[in-house]
Amino acid sequence: MASAIPSFRDPAGHCFSFQNRIFRFVAADALADFEAFFASPSAQKLVADGKLVASRRLADGELAELRSASPRSFSGGAGAFFEHEKIFFPSYPYEWPPEMLWAAGKLTLETARGALADGFGLKDATPANVLFRGSAPVFVDALSFERRDPHDPLWRPYAQFVRTFLLPLLANRRWGLSPADVFLTRRDGIEPEEIYRWCGPLEKFSPRLLSLVSIPTWLSRKANARADDGRIYRPRRLKNAEQARFILESLFRRLERTLDALRPPAATSAWSEYMGTHSYDDPAFAEKERFVREALVEFKPSRVLDAGANTGHFSAMAAGAGADVVAMDLDAACVGRMWRLGHEKSLKLLPLVLNLARPSPSLGWRNGESASFLDRAYGTFDGVLMLALIHHLLVTERIPLEEILRLAYELTNQLLIVEWVEPDDNMFRRLTRGREQLHESLNADVFESACRQYFDIVRSVALPGTSRRLYCCRRKKG
Amino acid sequence: MILGYIDPGLGMLIWQAIVSAFVGFLFYVKKSRDFIVGLGSRIFRRQKPRHEVVTDTVKPSSVPIEAEVKAR
Repeated sequence: MASAIPSFRDPAGHCFSFQNRIFRFVAADALADFEAFFASPSAQKLVADGKLVASRRLADGELAELRSASPRSFSGGAGAFFEHEKIFFPSYPYEWPPEMLWAAGKLTLETARGALADGFGLKDATPANVLFRGSAPVFVDALSFERRDPHDPLWRPYAQFVRTFLLPLLANRRWGLSPADVFLTRRDGIEPEEIYRWCGPLEKFSPRLLSLVSIPTWLSRKANARADDGRIYRPRRLKNAEQARFILESLFRRLERTLDALRPPAATSAWSEYMGTHSYDDPAFAEKERFVREALVEFKPSRVLDAGANTGHFSAMAAGAGADVVAMDLDAACVGRMWRLGHEKSLKLLPLVLNLARPSPSLGWRNGESASFLDRAYGTFDGVLMLALIHHLLVTERIPLEEILRLAYELTNQLLIVEWVEPDDNMFRRLTRGREQLHESLNADVFESACRQYFDIVRSVALPGTSRRLYCCRRKKG
Repeated sequence: MILGYIDPGLGMLIWQAIVSAFVGFLFYVKKSRDFIVGLGSRIFRRQKPRHEVVTDTVKPSSVPIEAEVKAR
């Protein structure tokens, strides 16, 4: 929904953004289904629960006004224009931990089952249909619903659901493949044939792989070997509509059971236990908490980016102070924990697996379908937290100090809370791995003078018992 | 109606069709079972002894049985 070019795959309409608002054109032949679905009890319940994006049809006067502002965006064939609720900070499946992919799959099945009860069908089933409002998934592709043929026993997006939800989750459990490994290079998920090649001879016969991977692969090979006359793709109709619905309900129940079996377990990593093993003693950590809390209270940022959030302790603090928070960390296990925390406590906390040194690029057709992380981030946040992060960027990523502060300046409109870690700090030394001489010249004075190029230092505090210092900075104008 | 535009797969579509045929058969098995169970329960209800029917329709007392016995 934050694409640079309008969506174009669905012939029934397209979605685009204009003046920071989200619009959708619905073609005339899909309009009746679109409006009927939104009037159905299942859609109204989903919208009321915040699980389906709210939509309203543009009135003629409003449309004429928008058309005069942008004739190209608001022209088109016969049809109607709608405005959707804008979801704060769109994210993509390759930025999610497996937990969020799983949650998106659950919501997809829930909407499909709800729509079925009202005589509608979901015509595509991909994580691209879902965004996250904080930690809660929201179905945003409102044009994915169509009135279904009551006699049709097949769900056409079944294969897409398997490719984009079940197989990536299965690959995550079996081989540790992350959603980024899958979706950065594949728009439509993993084909069963690809997974089949990765499996050992015995593994191909394990019950889960048999139905999701091996049998479809064998059937596909057999069908491809024959001269295919396209019969398999012809619509099927049963005489009994009740039987068709029974078959679909059974399919959704089966998919739900499979999805539940593939639910990612709480993973651990070198960083996921950081809150229990970090280098601060209790007074230092209490001081850090107090400093961050006071800065949040004083500046009241409404949109916060927590870069290097670990398991989200300070992100949750910012969310608790009323901000919409995007919390990023490159460790998927940490981000998975953050999502569980945000989901359980219904926090306005969007956790993403992102490396600030290699942020998500623009992707898709003409690099215009998915915006890069920085395109989405610039101008969005009025508060940025960089706690215990700078030394990782300096040492591991070899980013110069001034570059780091310049990016912080570009990311925040107002507040920066940053932690400076001296090169003699244990963690700093562990990261340098014998390359201490590269950072010999760095100290708090050097940091402060670099910082003053972009920020006014409002106040700072030394964390007792450590060589770390926290700074509360206000972005300079201009 | 606008037809689906997504790739329906090949092997997975055939597999879904096979499973659907099996589940479609189960639909009739379930229907037959429901019919037989329904028929059985109707016959059983019709043949119930009279006193049981009377007991079933007695309005439950709001007074506990022990209290009622004591009062007598």
